[in-house]
Amino acid sequence: MSVVREKHDLQSNKILSSVEKSKAITPEDVLRLTKITETYLCDPDANIYDIDFTRFKIRDLESGAVLFEIAKPVPENVDENVEKNAETEEPLDPNSGRFVRYQFTPQFLKLKTVGATVEFTVGSRPVNRFRMIERHFFRDKLLKTFDFEFGFCIPYSKNTCEHIYEFPTLAPDLVKEMIAAPFETRSDSFYFVDDRLIMHNKADYAYNGGVYRLTFYGE
Amino acid sequence: MGFLKVLKKMKQKEKEMRILMLGLDNAGKTTILKRFNGEPIDTISPTLGFNIKTLEHRNFKLNMWDVGGQKSLRSYWRNYFECTDGLIWVVDSADKRRLEDCRSELHVLLKEERLIGATLLVFANKQDLPGSCTAEEIKEILELDKIQTHHWNIIWCSAVSGDNLLKGIDWLVDDIASRIFTKD
Repeated sequence: MSVVREKHDLQSNKILSSVEKSKAITPEDVLRLTKITETYLCDPDANIYDIDFTRFKIRDLESGAVLFEIAKPVPENVDENVEKNAETEEPLDPNSGRFVRYQFTPQFLKLKTVGATVEFTVGSRPVNRFRMIERHFFRDKLLKTFDFEFGFCIPYSKNTCEHIYEFPTLAPDLVKEMIAAPFETRSDSFYFVDDRLIMHNKADYAYNGGVYRLTFYGE
Repeated sequence: MGFLKVLKKMKQKEKEMRILMLGLDNAGKTTILKRFNGEPIDTISPTLGFNIKTLEHRNFKLNMWDVGGQKSLRSYWRNYFECTDGLIWVVDSADKRRLEDCRSELHVLLKEERLIGATLLVFANKQDLPGSCTAEEIKEILELDKIQTHHWNIIWCSAVSGDNLLKGIDWLVDDIASRIFTKD
């Protein structure tokens, strides 16, 4: 009897896990998207690997100039922030840190070659097949897809990745529209481990600014 | 053979190359990568993971991986072997004390099955430092003439001045291109 029951349990476990698997968002799912998503496709706590983005940088390879750079505060400052939050009793937005707003000048759209760097740290678990898919849209028009597999990440490691690329040539009319419609250029960044979505970040962009600047959501 | 042929054709279409840069810690791997890509090299700290650059060079898409060389990290190197077309082994030519260590680590790598198809470039780095070994001396100490399993070459360079970096990378790219992208 007990053997039969065990078999039965095993089978139902299998079914459960296959249902769970089918719920996980895969790279194929997001590559099929034709516009920006309305919601985040995974919870913040889906990131069980403690992958933390600690720096973003964009530089112009023609001039060598760093157009902007933003780094997470070092741990001491984080402690201070936590204390401040506790004092003011501000509710913590679970989605803070998942959204970035960029404000560029029109000149940004004229750049030829740029290098975009991300730096991230990894927690105690080794990460297999870490893959990033980034989709940039203006309204419902797909401007660019990045699809890159970092592969394996060492436990407790700090890693960087710079993509140096030719800026896509955009039709002059499209450029005009993008400048005239701030924040209608948007991107979704999806991060997968073993083909399962573990992080989803969003950004939007304006190109009508006077200076290079970016703000974090909630600032 | 069918699968290999398909793989070859896919790479041919995109002209993509995966280049893995390894070597002992403090050999100058990250400095080479940054110098080659026109980045400032004044604030480089030990790599505790990897640094990747993807770039276009002579119509090839190069994916360059620089993985930290500290002893505790070397056991993770094998996670980066898959699909490697070119291996750059970076040597601190002035660190004579560790050249034996450098040789044994290199020869362990060359036995790796997943690196069999990779071209080997040895950069005899830090030629700007007084008392550094010449490329010829490094070749002797590392016993490069014994290598029969891989296309290889050794080129002196200075990551700090940038001297000869381009020459080395171009040799590597040419060798990979002649192996992978030629019609069969």
